[in-house]
Amino acid sequence: MNIGRTIGLALRTLSRNRLRSFLMMLGVMIGVASLTALASVGEATKQETMRRFKRMLGTFDVVIVNPGGPSTRGMPSLTSAPPVLKQGDAEAIAKEVALVKQVAVTQFAFDVDVKYGDRSVSPSIMGISPNWTEVRGEEIALGEGITAADNDAMARVAVIGEDLRKALFPAEDPIGRQIRIADVPFQVKGVLAPRGMGPGGASMDFTLAIPVATASRRLFNRDYYTGMMVQLRDPTQSDRAITDITALLRERHGIVPPAEDDFTVTSPKAQVARVTDVGSTLSKVMLGVAAIATLIGGVVIMSLMLISVSERRREIGVRRAVGASQRDILAQFLTEAAVVSFIGGLAGIALGLGGTLVAAALTKLPPAILWSAIGGAALMSILVGLLFGLQPAWRAANVDPIQALRS
Amino acid sequence: MIEVSHLARTYTRGDGTPVPALRDVSFTIGKGEFVTIRGASGSGKSSLLNILGCLDTPTSGSYRLDGEDVSGYTDQRRSHIRNRKIGFVFQSFNLLPRTTAAENVEIPALYTGGPVDRERALAILGKVGLGGRAEHYVTELSGGEQQRVAIARALMNDPPLLLADEPTGNLDSAAGESVMKLLTELHREGRTIVLVTHDEGVAAYAHREILIRDGLVAADRPQPGRDTGGPAAAASASGAGA
Repeated sequence: MNIGRTIGLALRTLSRNRLRSFLMMLGVMIGVASLTALASVGEATKQETMRRFKRMLGTFDVVIVNPGGPSTRGMPSLTSAPPVLKQGDAEAIAKEVALVKQVAVTQFAFDVDVKYGDRSVSPSIMGISPNWTEVRGEEIALGEGITAADNDAMARVAVIGEDLRKALFPAEDPIGRQIRIADVPFQVKGVLAPRGMGPGGASMDFTLAIPVATASRRLFNRDYYTGMMVQLRDPTQSDRAITDITALLRERHGIVPPAEDDFTVTSPKAQVARVTDVGSTLSKVMLGVAAIATLIGGVVIMSLMLISVSERRREIGVRRAVGASQRDILAQFLTEAAVVSFIGGLAGIALGLGGTLVAAALTKLPPAILWSAIGGAALMSILVGLLFGLQPAWRAANVDPIQALRS
Repeated sequence: MIEVSHLARTYTRGDGTPVPALRDVSFTIGKGEFVTIRGASGSGKSSLLNILGCLDTPTSGSYRLDGEDVSGYTDQRRSHIRNRKIGFVFQSFNLLPRTTAAENVEIPALYTGGPVDRERALAILGKVGLGGRAEHYVTELSGGEQQRVAIARALMNDPPLLLADEPTGNLDSAAGESVMKLLTELHREGRTIVLVTHDEGVAAYAHREILIRDGLVAADRPQPGRDTGGPAAAASASGAGA
């Protein structure tokens, strides 16, 4: 029998015993549905994580230098960071590492009171170099950003985030208003475009930026930075840039391995990989569970097929008598198992996609449909059918037609 | 058509002792003959039929079907022979449940490698008197009708040889008689028919009777045969056979 006819026969046979066919499909369906949904939700989470990182860092084409060794955790701020990254380091990196285009520096601080009129809040405060906006690809929604002239003059000017604008200026135009940062008067000259949530899920818009020279000399009286963003001439060279910058800073800081570095140089790609890795450990476990469900579906197919074979001994005998070879019978039962499993797989994919869309609606994350996972799930369902159909099909092919016809 | 010589078939019991079912059987059946193989249960007639039907292979001896020695054929080749040259009719009909009459008739065509000719299946059903029953599920049909569906199935690939194993055994006498008439008619059309039975009344329809006893041919004799058939003729033929 050719394959098309064998499949047709399988479909007819399966439609004659719908309940059993449905039960055979059920396990594979649930397994494939969870695989599809998990893969899609996992992908959506990964993409969302990437988006958040992108928002936090502005761009992936940079190398980040943070104070503190590799074991340092959390967002470095003026109170937590060791005083090791200085202006000389930034200048040396920009000048001596050939791959580097420019270096943006920040001084990051929490718990500073910001007041306007009788309103008082504590946003995060960033002292930024004038090229920060460019390196990060940030946009100014209203007014102007921090300029080199502001920094040189140590001007008391500030650019505020959207959430801070809402908190301080719910109904007025903030541009030109005077606010007090730790009781030092500053003039608002711009509003940053909204940046959304950072990787931790907290808003990145409850913040304000002032020139880094102003911050270090007039506000905080600290000469060290809490972070540097190094923009590369060739973004693909980040690994080499990390090596070069590390070597330069070790030399400047007088660090000789195996002594631990007092700074950390990473690329956002590496950070993202680390975060999504944590996510994928979880999703690997869940994928394993889904795979087990699919295997159980296979076992269900096998046991119901075995029952089917013993119930259909007479049919097998008849087919053998009228000209079916053992090979034909093997192919018939194997095809039945593969077809029922494949249909279960298709139903599972439909169910999984439905689940993905529901999950996307609930989490408000845009759905990510992984077509490769879906193709893989469809293929896997066929393979499960073939694998678990093999033993029943073998038994069917070896039914003695003489015995079967006598009964 | 059929040439068996020194055919033997020995089964092995669970404890390893050999049980001979056929000891030494030789005969020839020409094309177009209508022969019954008769014997008591346990005589070896079923073993003989299984070998003639290429469902089983002899332990020794040779079996030539249509000039071809098929005794040593592989499963694949024997399946091909069954498909093209042999039509089976069984005592218990052996139709597939939850399947229509026409679908049952088509089954042999599934294994030819060619297209399935629904028209032909319907035509054969018409010929066996079931033209209006093609789309009926077999469970909706009477015993006699089911056996006629089975005969139609046996004819689907137009085999030269029909093997019938007690075809009237599960039927009442009227239905049995109509089935025998149908077989007689198929014989008249030129088909070779070999019928296994223990019933002398049925045997009387054939032209020749081979009697099997203890795995050997006990008698091989001509029968008057009946091309018309009827209760009176059946009674006299069964008297003559006894």
